[in-house]
Amino acid sequence: MLPLSLLNAAQNKPMLVELKNGETFNGHLVNCDNFMNITLREVYQTNPEGDRFWKLKECYIRGSTIKYLRVPDPLLDLVKDEQTRAREAGRSARGGPGGGRGRGAPPRGRGAARGGPIRGGRGRGRGG
Amino acid sequence: MDSLIPFTTSGSLVDCVDRKMLVVLRDGRKLQGVLRSYDQFANLVLEDTVERIYHQDVFAELKRGLFLIRGENVVLLGEIDLDQEDDVPLRQVDWAVLEPYHRQEIIDKKHRDEAKAQILYERKGFCKEGGEGDGY
Repeated sequence: MLPLSLLNAAQNKPMLVELKNGETFNGHLVNCDNFMNITLREVYQTNPEGDRFWKLKECYIRGSTIKYLRVPDPLLDLVKDEQTRAREAGRSARGGPGGGRGRGAPPRGRGAARGGPIRGGRGRGRGG
Repeated sequence: MDSLIPFTTSGSLVDCVDRKMLVVLRDGRKLQGVLRSYDQFANLVLEDTVERIYHQDVFAELKRGLFLIRGENVVLLGEIDLDQEDDVPLRQVDWAVLEPYHRQEIIDKKHRDEAKAQILYERKGFCKEGGEGDGY
């Protein structure tokens, strides 16, 4: 899955963000966008030398200032499972009611399921 | 160069996915991890990442977990040969032991680079890097 989709899926998870200047921000991800701009809550900010600290209720970080983000290890598997579950749910939701219409329906069901994610199924949602 | 690399279709990182890679960042950090995904900006997802520092004939490692690296901060990406990766002719020590030496090396390097940049600027008219330079 794409790096930014991983980020979208990390909403409400704790993470560490290091900026290009070496400052670090530890907090929970509230939201993010395609530019990697993010908002965090319950943030602990540290200066580059590591000797000064601030606590912020929330903060906004412009994507272009980010060097990297560190996220919880289980997140990757968690997101992959969520995606599979969302895909299965989408498939059965379309195949189910459509299946009763007869032989022609199942192929249509599968085709519609492929169209589903584009319309913004749960796994591929815009993270809103 | 005698050998010309044939110009085929655009290059991609698809062959590097699910492989153990070395990533060098612009701040000089050297990370090793399994590349799980990338995008058009070469933003990377690196799993089971380990950061390594080196000093003379010694190195130290620290487990760092799951990384999302913004592509513009990457200097290079290299595939690690799993057969050879343990043939390192260096001794491993604890991170806490090596860290002060590594930190000092960075400071010394910074001074050397600043001195070089100053000389090039004064004598040859080269422009100096603004603010944060590259640490690698």
